[in-house]
Order: sequence, then structure tokens, then C-alpha cells
Amino acid sequence: MSETVNTPPSAAELKSIETSQTFFQIVYTQFKEHKAAVFGAYLIVFFMLVAILAPVIEYATGTDSDSQNVFNRYKPPFSKIIAPQDAREQAIQNFVRQNPEEAAKIQTSLLEKNLVQPVRPEDALYDWVNLEEAKAIETIKAIDTGKKAELVKMVHNFKSFHLFGTDELGRDVLMRLVYGTRVSIGVGVLVAIASALIGLIIGSLAGYYGGVIDTVLMRVTDSLLSLPILPVLVVIAAIDLKKVLGGLVSVAESLFGATGGNLAQEMVNNIFSGGKESIYKLVFILCLFSWMTVARLIRGSILSLREREFILASKTLGATDLTIIVRHMFPNVVAPLLVSVTLGVGDSILFEAALSYLGLGIQPPMPSWGNMLFNAQELIYQAPFLAVLPGILIFLVVVSFNFLGDGLQDAIDPKTVRR
Amino acid sequence: MTTYILRRILQTLMVIVILSYVCFSLMTLMPGDPIELMISANPKITQEDVVRLRAFYGLDQPTYVRYFNWVSEIAKGDLGYSRTYRIPVTEMMGPSLKATFVLSMGSLLFAIMVGIPLGIYCALKPNSKMDYLVNIFNFGGISIPSFFLGIVLIIIFSVGLGWLPAGGYQTTGMHYNNIFEELLDKAKYLILPILSLSVQSIGRFSRFSRSAMVEAMRNDFIRTARAKGMSEQVVIWKHGFRNALIPLITIVAISFSSVFSGALITESLFAYPGVGRLIYTSIIGNDFNVAMISFIISIAMVLLMNLVADLLYGAADPRISYK
Amino acid sequence: MKNLTGLLVVAMLVAACTKKDAGQTADVQAQGEAKLTNNELKIGISQEFENFNPLIASMLATTYMQRMVNRTLVVIDADGKWVPQLAKSIPSIENGTAKVIKVGGKEKLQATWELLDNAVWGDGTPVVCDDFALAVKIASSPNVGVGEKEVYTQVEKIELVDKNPKKCLFTYDKAKWDFYMMGTFYPLPKALEEAVFKKHGTQKEGYEKNSLYSKDPTNVGLFNGPYLISEIQLGDHVTFVPNPKFYGEQAKIKKIIVKLIPNTGTLEANLRSGTIDLISTLGLALDQALAFEKKIKSEGLGYQVLFQPSTVYEHIDLNLDNAFLKDVRVRKALNFAINKEDLTNALFEGKQQPAIHSITPRDPWFTADPAKVTIYKYNKREAERLLDEAGWKPGADGIRVKDGKRLSFTVMTTAGNKTRELVQVYLQNQWKQVGIEVNAKNEPARVFFGETTKKRAFDSMALFAWVSSPENTPKSTFSSKNIPTAKNGWSGQNYMGWSNAAVDKTLEALDTEMKNEKRIEMVHEVLKAYTDEVPVLPLYYRSDVAVIPNQLKGYRLTGHQFPETNVVELWNLE
Repeated sequence: MSETVNTPPSAAELKSIETSQTFFQIVYTQFKEHKAAVFGAYLIVFFMLVAILAPVIEYATGTDSDSQNVFNRYKPPFSKIIAPQDAREQAIQNFVRQNPEEAAKIQTSLLEKNLVQPVRPEDALYDWVNLEEAKAIETIKAIDTGKKAELVKMVHNFKSFHLFGTDELGRDVLMRLVYGTRVSIGVGVLVAIASALIGLIIGSLAGYYGGVIDTVLMRVTDSLLSLPILPVLVVIAAIDLKKVLGGLVSVAESLFGATGGNLAQEMVNNIFSGGKESIYKLVFILCLFSWMTVARLIRGSILSLREREFILASKTLGATDLTIIVRHMFPNVVAPLLVSVTLGVGDSILFEAALSYLGLGIQPPMPSWGNMLFNAQELIYQAPFLAVLPGILIFLVVVSFNFLGDGLQDAIDPKTVRR
Repeated sequence: MTTYILRRILQTLMVIVILSYVCFSLMTLMPGDPIELMISANPKITQEDVVRLRAFYGLDQPTYVRYFNWVSEIAKGDLGYSRTYRIPVTEMMGPSLKATFVLSMGSLLFAIMVGIPLGIYCALKPNSKMDYLVNIFNFGGISIPSFFLGIVLIIIFSVGLGWLPAGGYQTTGMHYNNIFEELLDKAKYLILPILSLSVQSIGRFSRFSRSAMVEAMRNDFIRTARAKGMSEQVVIWKHGFRNALIPLITIVAISFSSVFSGALITESLFAYPGVGRLIYTSIIGNDFNVAMISFIISIAMVLLMNLVADLLYGAADPRISYK
Repeated sequence: MKNLTGLLVVAMLVAACTKKDAGQTADVQAQGEAKLTNNELKIGISQEFENFNPLIASMLATTYMQRMVNRTLVVIDADGKWVPQLAKSIPSIENGTAKVIKVGGKEKLQATWELLDNAVWGDGTPVVCDDFALAVKIASSPNVGVGEKEVYTQVEKIELVDKNPKKCLFTYDKAKWDFYMMGTFYPLPKALEEAVFKKHGTQKEGYEKNSLYSKDPTNVGLFNGPYLISEIQLGDHVTFVPNPKFYGEQAKIKKIIVKLIPNTGTLEANLRSGTIDLISTLGLALDQALAFEKKIKSEGLGYQVLFQPSTVYEHIDLNLDNAFLKDVRVRKALNFAINKEDLTNALFEGKQQPAIHSITPRDPWFTADPAKVTIYKYNKREAERLLDEAGWKPGADGIRVKDGKRLSFTVMTTAGNKTRELVQVYLQNQWKQVGIEVNAKNEPARVFFGETTKKRAFDSMALFAWVSSPENTPKSTFSSKNIPTAKNGWSGQNYMGWSNAAVDKTLEALDTEMKNEKRIEMVHEVLKAYTDEVPVLPLYYRSDVAVIPNQLKGYRLTGHQFPETNVVELWNLE
């Protein structure tokens, strides 16, 4: 810095200093100075990309996230395992379906050369595929077929490499973590946005207007804070959304006739296909229970802010309530808001997993970091990596969001703005 | 001021009544009361048994009738019996409430004493090495679910090193010669639970105090105070910390809302006979008398703590006034 | 600086405590691994318990401990046979100690039970017929909330034979063959409890609140088993000491503490750090037990893990009202497509057996004879053949379709049950291979049992278990009378909606059939229909697990509802 002090600013620099920057430009330039925050932001973008591109990653690595291998459970990282009998026979079955003639030919030559001894002749290929890798390749090389290369490749593909090992059903942990990103990051971002928005609105209304509004809003907040969560969740779990929406369908039918009813029914069916119902419940619960801390924090800060001189000043200048709250108060409550919101991200990722114990989270076999971590708790001796890996990812997300929050706080806080 | 407090207490009472009815309805709305669940665990129990027992415990009456009955019993000063354990609720909950109180308050105090100073220390040297170190520790504390931390602590300190007991609240069947011995024995059982319960709160408190303090120290009056030549201690505590107090008061008050539910995991992990577990079993077992009393205690505590927080706002920032 | 010193003080305190402790726990640990003596045995359980009134207590953990302090007329032993406990012998029609009588055109049964001469309560009062009569009287009262009321009320009258207070003539209200199965029929000490019932029995719940079992739970006169309760702390532990007046063999272990460790994940740590010496059947999940067994082997720990096949039957109820499931070929295909052998071998390491029908191998009624029941051996190609035959052809994404509809089901189970969720996912994968899509939808146990299965609200499949007992009639789950409907107030457990007239008839006749061979024949007929029509997909029979120190002798798991504590007096550590 000291070297630059003496050099006179260039024309371009002068121009940039002299033209006033917009609020967002200021925030952006200041944010960039916070290295950890920038790192956090990149990491979050990276996780989001992973979440969106999960199927692409699955395709590129050639590992099926759902394929099980129950005789190879809890394999440590860097393991190579052989596909189970099921998967091999499936592969052969597909081969036979696609090339019925060639398959018949191979079958006869296998039998002729007495390379396999199946119980029934049509099992010849299935017997062959269950041979050891080296033996199987040797056998197929002894046979004259145009599909040799394809079959050799098939045998090679039976061996799969698992960077992070396998889980309790012999599935690839890496791919499950990749897919788990979708739920966990989704939940984290959702809660961050929902809690910030709802909390900000409720907290600022209560704090700014006080009186009856404050009383009502804060008693509702207190009630939600103190409501015993377990019975609430069990009751929500018991609600049959289909029935609730069924009522709406009949309303649609009475309004728009049979076509409208059918259309509505179709929509309802669509919404609930593939066990999505619990996801809606999950979102609802997360939004419902995430904002109270934020609201109370904002209200507390605004109570103090509204008595300050600069608020009085803008009031006398005729600023509307909305302007005062949004322009003058929000930048000043950003510190507690950001801390609370970013801390909530980690909590919500774990809360999602706890909910799946009540059937309210996502349904198996869909993975999330939280439920992978929860499921590993009893296996901490047997397969510690199963707990450590999702744990590290959750940790990274928490770190990124919090550093991002710190950076934003520094950037937005009007007291630090250097114009 | 006094009228404000009185009005708030009145509001609190109203909220308690409304919420207790909500809780009561929630309990009745939960499908499958335990009597019905008995069927799936015992082939000998017939449907007639279920119908008879439901009628016997009045579970077949409408909610408001049962709520009213319950309230009139409470009004008479009878907290009733625990249906599962068949002993009076007071006898049932007294000792476990005390146990949980010791555990929760212990960890809360510990978290405040460690978390807030840590946060302030970081705020005074933002973005220093120490700041990053403490922050990373905090994030770790927040990301580790408490059951995991508990298991790891047990594995290290109980199984591995054999220093501390894995579970319980006192050595079973031990006779104490004096109070000191008793305290020492019980304290030994408290160390791991308190540790595992407070790590998350330490992270939380220290994050909040760091951010609030960072913000407070940026105020113009801090510069003014320094310019006036005040000692750094006075600047930090009298001018800085005081202005950082409001979010801290809020967050400490809110942490009371999870005193019972937060203790649940720790209590079951460390086989600690506290009220968190009792509440859990009473909800699962539809033990209305126990569950409702515990709901009311926790609701009252949350409302009360938030009232205290509101009053403390006024003390921290005299500009805030309640009319 | 201030906070740093505070930290230091705390750290020092911790260090001081731990140092003092280290010696103590080291001793305990040494004891835990090698030097256990008959002075004390600490048992870990993971479930809550209540007070010990045998009429009212219904929690599993209480039943477990009840057997240490109270005995019944008869019980099933570890070999699965009915044996007398408080009775001298089991009455039977063959040897004339029981007979069918006709009272007013109704068939009833009378049996003579003779009590052991030396059976006494802990205070020395003999156990007599009147104690059983009191139990019946209290259980019949509308003011007392007894769980299994019928166990008591099936006995209409108890009279003395030859004025012998220990020779009782029981008159049963129905002439049922299983009259002697009175394993949960407990006597109550008349000398102590009759006064309580007289005083408080007129009030609702008056008796259970004032019973000595609640008010004075360590009163020795309340118990007649090999142990007495010396201390009970709800939610934490119960301490037992031998009953010097016990009629049978004197107990060898001088003190047994049953300690509640609610989290099964920490049971192992508690065992290894010496807080407990033994993990009861109400403890580890199978997964944990399997993992611990490996550790015992690799680290040479002084424990052994016991596995015992039990009478718990895990299965999937199929909702026969589902349009796709109405076709028996689809149901059979579902059954053929699942590899139960691999499932049990891979996930349970062979410690739990694949199921073929609802009767468990622990039951004398069990059969695996292919001539008597249909057995579905894993056969993917057979499953595909059946589906092809039923008109379900593979679609573009591999899932079969017919008339534009996908062959898709929803399997529901209890959320949070890890084993079930694993099995669920395993099955999903297998069905996918034959072109059947199965989605998961799990619910809390309360919702699942209290709403979904009870009201048959599951759309196609419900995965759960039935806890059975040997020679228990499957009427409540098989008979078409027990299909729950709104009309019958959702009573009955035929959640499948299975209706087979022949089965209904056989089950009715079974209740009153006195000949054992005939009964077995009838049960096998029912099982034949059950396996032919596949209203249910059998999965596996569960096993009980326990971890005991190597030196413990006389400990045998039973696998049924009468736990190993039945023979607690035989346990020996030396």
C-alpha cells in the first residue's frame, strides 16, 4: 500500500473515484476484499453446481448411484469390488435381448467346447458370466464371435472402483454424497432465504410499530418457539395431503366442470408421484420453524434503532415508514441477521435428517448428507468414514455460509462503507 | 414500567392457556394412541380390550371435554397421575426436573462463560489467525450433531482412557459418607454431558458476540471515546460491549426454548434420568398429565425469558422504553 | 485474560476428577472383563420400565424383569415347551385333570391346578388359590385398567378342591384347547392387596394408584420369584436381591442391577467401560450385535454374542383391493423376484432366517415341507414369466406397463427403523430388475400403526412385523371377519383384506379342536392357502440378541415372550 500512496492516480482511477458508486457496487468491491468470504461463495457455487449436475457426474464416472452390492458392504475408501451375480446376469440378459442370434451362437460354442457345464443348456451364458474375471476372458477368447470385444468390456466393467468406499447396501458413497448435495444444499439455501425473509418482515414490523402489532407478532413468535415440536411433527406426518388437495379438486370440478376437475386431479397426481409428498411437508416445516430467532433478533435491534437520531431525522424529513425500515434500518440490522441465517444453514441440514426419522424428510433411497450421517451413528467403529465424509461436507457448507455472512456483514454495514 | 410488566404477565398467562389447549389438541390429534399400538406388540390383546381401555381412560371423549376436565383438576391443585407410571406427576417429575435443570443450566453457563469472551476476543482482532482458528472451532461445534460428539466423547474418555463414566448420574448403589463425596461423584457424571451439550452453544454464542462486537466497535462514538483518551478497557466494555448486548440478550433468552428438547439427546446418550427423556416418553405414550405439565413449564419459561429479555433491552439501551 | 484463568481452573478440575477416577474405573474394567463374581451383575436394557404390578404393567422391559420376581402357573421354557412353574403339573384332558362340562347348553371347561407346597410370597405367606381368585376379581373390575383382561376373565370361578388351599378348580368360560396356556396369569398377594382393592377399588383407577406395587414397591410380600426388589428408580435402574424364601433353587448372584441405557448406540461403550456387564435382549439391534461380535473376535474381548431365532415375523402385507394386486400372478411374481436368502445372508449375516409363511420355526406348528406349503425360491425369470403372462410388458424405461399404466407400487413402513429401511431399499432394487417400480413412503410408527394399517389406508404394501407366540391361532390376521372396515370400527388385523371361506371355517374349528395332531393338520391347511394365494410377502423371522460375559453360565435366550429371566436363579458367574 505504502508504495502506491505517492503515485498520483491515473485518469481512469480518478474517474472511478469521482463518479459515485451504486450501493451494490460498493458492497461488491468491499466483499471482494474479504478473502474467506470469497472462498465461501465459490464453494457454495461449487456445491450448487454439483447438485445440478449430479446426473451428469453419475454418467461421466459410470457409477450408478443406486446399484447395490450387498455382499460388499462397508468397503473402505479406494476399494475395488466385483459386481454381484444379479447385476452380471442382468447384463447378460440385456446382451441376449439385443443380440439374440449372436448369443445363441456363443451359447452353442460354449457348450460344444465344454467350457461351461450348466444344468440347463440355455444357462450357458449365465454360467459363463459368473466365472472369475480372468477365467471368463480366457474362455471368451477361445470362442469365435464378433462380439468378443463387447463381452470382454462387459466383464471388465463388473469391476468397479469406489473412491470413498461403499455404504450399508454396497452402494458407492461418492455418488451418494453427490446426490445428497441436492437435498442438503437445497435445504440449506431454502432455510437461509425463508428465515431471512420471514424473520426480517415480522421482526421489523414488530420492532418498528410496537404496540399491538408488536404484542401480537411477538406472542405468535413466542408460541412457535415454545410449541413442543414432536407432537406437531407427528400430526403433520399424519396429514394426508392427497385428501386435503382432494377437497380442492372437487372445488375445481364444481367451478370448471369435469375437465377442470380432471386437470386438477392430474396436477395433484403429478405433484405426489414418486413420493414427493414428504418433500412438500419438509419444505413447509422448515419454513415454519426457521424464522423465530431471526425475527426476535431483528426486533431487538430495531427497538434500539428507532430511537436513534438519524431515524428521527429522516422522519422529520418526511420519509415514509417503508423507506425508513428498508433504507435506514435494514443495513443496520444486517449483523445479527446474517449470523443467525448462516448458522441456521447447518442446523437445518441436520434437522432435515432428524425429520426423516419421522418419515417427514426425503424417502429412501434418496440420500442426503444429514441422513447419511445419522445412519452412520451406530457404525462409528465399523465404518467411521461413513460418518466422517458427510460430516466434513456439512462442516464445509457451514464454514462457507458463515464466512460468506461475515463478508456480507463487512460489506453491507454502513459504518464500514468507505466512499 | 410496572404496568408494562403486569400487562406482559397477563399476556403470558393468556398465551399459556391458548397454547395449552393447542398442545392438548395436538396430543389427541396424534393418531394411534398407545393402547392401539399394544395390538401390534401383543397378539393376545383384542379389539375389545382396546375399546374398553380407551373408554376407561376417557380417550374416547371429545377434546374440549377432556381439556376442561384436566384444567379443572389442575385448578384444584391436583396435577394428577402419570398414566404410564401410575405415580403422581409431582413425584415423577420433581427429581428429573432438578436433574435436567442442573445439566442445562450448567451447560448454558459454561457456554456463556466460554462463548462470549471468545467471540469478543475475536471481534477485537478480526481476521487475525486467532480469529480464524476460533471460528473454525465454532463451525466444527455447530456442524457436529450432539449425538455424534457424545458418542465420540464416550469412546475417548470412557472406553479408551477410562477416566469418566459412560452413563448415569451417580454410581449406582453407592453410599455417600458426606456431601462432598456425593457432589464429587455426581459431578464426574456431569462432565461429558455438559461438554457435549455446550459445544454447539459455545459456537453460537461466540459467533453472535463476535459479530455484534465487530459492529459495535465500528461506531463513531468508539472513535470519539478513544480520541478522548479513555483506556482501552473502558472503551471495550463500557462503550463497545454495552452496544453489542441486544442481540446477545435475545440469543441467550431464546436458547431457553430448547432447554428440554436439547437435553433429550444428551440425556438418552448419557443415560441421564432427566426430564427431557420423560417428556419424550410421555408424548410417545400419550401420558397427558406428564406431557401437559412439561409443555406448560417450557412454554412459561420461554415466555418469561423473552419478557426478561425485553426488560434487559431497556437496561442495555436506555433509549428503548416501553409504554 | 480473565476467561483464560477460568478455563485453566476448569481444566484442572477435570484433571483432578479424572485422575482419582482412573484407578476406580480401571478396577471396574478389569472386573468387567475377567473378574466378575456372583456378588453383582449389572444388566443393560434400552427400554423404559414402569411399576411392577403384574396386572397392569405392560412395557416389555417390565415383563423382562417381572419374571425375576414373580412366577406364574406355567411358562414356555427355552426349548419352546410348556412347563409348570407355580403349579405341580399341567392339567390335561388325557390324564383326567381337566374336563369339558356342559352348563346350560354351553360348553365350558374345568381344570384342577395344584400349587407347589413350598411356594410362598417373600414374607413367608403361602401362595394359595385365593391369590389367583383375587387377581381375577381385581382384573374384572371396571375401575381397573388391565391390558390383557381376557387372560384373567376367561376364568369364571376358582374353587378349592378338598378344602385344600393349594388345590384349585378353575372353571373357564369356554371349552378352548389352549386353556392351560396361562403364562401371563399372575397371582396377587391377598394378604396385602385385598385391603387396597376394598378401600380404593370403587374409584376409577383407585386401585392402581394405591396398590402397594406403586406405593411400596420394595415390599417383600409382593413377590414370589427367586429375587426381590430392593430398590427401584423409575427411568434409571432397579436393584434385585435373592429371595431367601423362594420355592426353587436359591439364586446364586447376590445382587442384580438392571440399568436403563436408552441409547442403543452407547450400550457397547457402557459395557466396555464397566457400567454394565451384560446387554439384555432389550438392547442391541442386530446390526450392532453383528459388528460387536466381530470386534470381540478381533480384540479378544471376554464376551459372547448370543443369537436366538424368535417368534417375530417380518413381512409385507399386500392390499388386495389394489387393482394390480388383485391378480395372483402379480403377487406371485413379487414373491419370486425377491432373493430372501441373499437378503438374510448379506444384511444379517445369516443370523436371521428367511420366512416362508407366518408361523415361525420356534413354533411346533411350523412346517417347511414343500408338500404342505408352497415355497417360493428366488427366481427372477419365473417372476418375469408370470408378469408377461399377466400382460405386463416392459416399457421404455424398463418398468412394465399394461393399458398405459405403469406397474408401480408404494411400500410403506415405520420411519426411523433402520433395518426396515434397508430391507425396503434392497427390495425396491430387486423389483426394479424385473420391471416393477416401488416407491417408499414411511411414517412414524404411531401414524403407520394407528392410522395407515389400522384403516387399511396403504395403497399397496405395508412392511412390518407380527409378534407371535407359539401355537397362537392366526385368526385375527387371516379370517375375513377380521378385515377392518369403518362398519366394524376398524377392528381386526386382516389388513390385506384376504377372504377365503375355507380358511375362515378351519380357523373357527381350530379353537375348539382338542386333538393336537388334528390341530397341526388344520394349521397346515391354512398355511397352504396362505402360501398359494400370497396375500402377504413373507420376508424373514427376526432373532433376539444378547451380549453376555463369557463366564456367565445358565443363561439361555428363549426367542419368545417369556424371556431368559425365567431361569434367573440358574445364572452363575463363578
